[in-house]
Amino acid sequence: MNNAQIEIQLIASLVAIACAIPGTFLVLRKMAMISDAISHSILPGIVIGFFITHDLNSPILILLAALTGIITVVLVEYIQKTGLVKEDTAIGLVFPALFSIGVILIAKNANDIHLDVDAVLLGELAFTPFDRLIIGGIDVGPKALWLIGSILMITIGLLFAFFKELKVSTFDAGLAASLGFSPAVIHYGLMTVSSITTVGAFDAVGAILVVALMIAPAATAYLLTNNLKRMLAYAICFGVFSAIAGYWLAHILDASISGSITTVLGVLFLVVYLFAPSKGIIAVLHRERQQRTEVSLLTFLLHLKNHKEKSERHVNHLNEHINWHKVRSKSVLELALKNNMISIEKNIVSLTKKGDDFTSQAINYIITNEDAQIEHMKDDFFLFRG
Amino acid sequence: MGTAILGAITGMLGSFAVLRKQSLLGDAISHAALPGIAIAFLITGAKDSNTLLLGALVSGLIGTFWIRGIITKTHLKSDTALGLILSLFFGFGMLLLTYIQKQPNANQAGLDKYLFGQAATLVERDVWLMAIVTGICLLVLLLFWKEFKILLFDADYTKTLGFNTKTIDILITSFIVLAIVLGLQTVGVVLMSAMLLAPAAAARQWTNSLGVMVILAAIFGAFSGVFGTAISATQNNLSTGPVIVIVASIFVLLSFVFSPSRGLLFKQIRFIKNRRDLELHKTLAFMYNIAETHEDITHPHAIKILNNFQGFTKGTLQKLVHKNYVKLDGNMWYMTEEGFKTASNLYNQQTTGDNE
Repeated sequence: MNNAQIEIQLIASLVAIACAIPGTFLVLRKMAMISDAISHSILPGIVIGFFITHDLNSPILILLAALTGIITVVLVEYIQKTGLVKEDTAIGLVFPALFSIGVILIAKNANDIHLDVDAVLLGELAFTPFDRLIIGGIDVGPKALWLIGSILMITIGLLFAFFKELKVSTFDAGLAASLGFSPAVIHYGLMTVSSITTVGAFDAVGAILVVALMIAPAATAYLLTNNLKRMLAYAICFGVFSAIAGYWLAHILDASISGSITTVLGVLFLVVYLFAPSKGIIAVLHRERQQRTEVSLLTFLLHLKNHKEKSERHVNHLNEHINWHKVRSKSVLELALKNNMISIEKNIVSLTKKGDDFTSQAINYIITNEDAQIEHMKDDFFLFRG
Repeated sequence: MGTAILGAITGMLGSFAVLRKQSLLGDAISHAALPGIAIAFLITGAKDSNTLLLGALVSGLIGTFWIRGIITKTHLKSDTALGLILSLFFGFGMLLLTYIQKQPNANQAGLDKYLFGQAATLVERDVWLMAIVTGICLLVLLLFWKEFKILLFDADYTKTLGFNTKTIDILITSFIVLAIVLGLQTVGVVLMSAMLLAPAAAARQWTNSLGVMVILAAIFGAFSGVFGTAISATQNNLSTGPVIVIVASIFVLLSFVFSPSRGLLFKQIRFIKNRRDLELHKTLAFMYNIAETHEDITHPHAIKILNNFQGFTKGTLQKLVHKNYVKLDGNMWYMTEEGFKTASNLYNQQTTGDNE
């Protein structure tokens, strides 16, 4: 591993951290698509800034681009406020228009300068180490490293300073307002930070990866925890992990670094999506099936209680009557047997003492529908899960 | 020609996307189609636009249904799901594209035109393909018009009527995906969502009827296609996609401002008119209060006493005269019988006053 490789990984990790922090809040505030809009619509800002400064890393350019990002947010909110279209449509209208302006500006004016759309959209991490910041003749490291490093510092500083305010306003805007924090200030503050981060990162990793790095780690972390601090920590870990793993994947495949970082993020999300302990797909499906079986069992027991006559309680009859498929009725029957709710004699099913009690309780609950009883019922349910 | 058809079809289907609040789905799908294009190229090794579009279609559909899965099965919200799928698929697509670029295959050049689109690359066959797909879309739209409409506005009701909402849903989503995939070649991945949204959003401002809206959206879409292509053809070095999007955005802007019932301009005019009416009423009510103190309502009063009253102007007085509520006599005014009656009813029946 040579020096340049270390630097690339360092930059990628810093970008990942810088994106994960605002990303977490965007995801929680249901504004994830805003980051997509910003990342597209900063293009005209960058182009205009580039005409003025002729330097992709100059702070003026970053400020201009960030300003465009904020203009986007304001425009979206204005269109939304007129009530003519919904918020998502407003977003979908504003950013392609701004982006088109940017593309046309580039096509018309910037043919001969080093600035093309691909570079803006996709970024090229591999070249960042060659663009070095030289202070007083001493090489102090890649420019991008310093840029993203300082943005990260600012972001972290703001995060620590306003953590409480952000937290309150994210989860309960009304409470935040009544406590005296202006939701608007926090909202636009967050938007500003997101814009600046997007702009700072786009040079290194491209607009699309910025969106991926903002949303994906946060969404993945959200599947694993409900605690804000933990979510932030997880998101940062995921981001850094995929930045480094993505770099090596790109190294092996000899392909775009930003693309492979995104791919690693995608795989990570897929794994968590499937296997997360309580919110993953497998867990959810399992829970749904369990609940279905429980309801079936309850229906079955109620049926038994309602019918004293033997013909209604014959095993085969139950199949038809409650209209279950064979497999399910068999599994329900076995479950009930295991929990000593029923006894079977010569294919005639009858409730045991325990089953009878349980069913009475269930009926009682269904009729009165009081909360007090559901707690007790839940304890009983746990019995036959085992 | 191709862009006109494209504009028409995306406008039509876009109406549904906008009304179903799935505007950004288009954006997500168009990004999600990229890996499909790349994979199709990797498998076949040829740059046949049909196979590539098929790949795009498949990966677009996978993206859509994954988004559905995320929204329904986890607590992540729709915007997160959209952004997630969009960026992840696109990143993966970019990975594949760059990987392809390193491959020793002469055919690979030009795949990146799918990013921004270039209408000039359209050949006659592509136009025919578009026309056929548009025809099928129209047919299906007409066949299932009632179902689509009812699903759009009241999904629960549709379910109780016994329609299979899932099938209709999948059908319409598939068509949206199809339209997007078709458009990729012309306007590119990034700007496809605007093609879907802008005509529909513009059409929405002019009408409240779904049928009219769909037709209008199709017209808007077709026009922005034609104008955009024409403008980009006259200038050097101008991709078609962005120009079409700008034209469509201008349509939207105009619609926002000038549409008769919802537009901002008329809203403002109505607002001002309402305020004037209100001032008129206030003046009238004030006069009424003065006139009431006299037994004879037509008893004349000096105009001067009205001057302290806020909302009184010469204009409002003139208007009152014009409406025959008040008569002027030199510096004096007196209320007519009619004016007195209207004024006394003013606060009892506000509506009658508005209709005058």
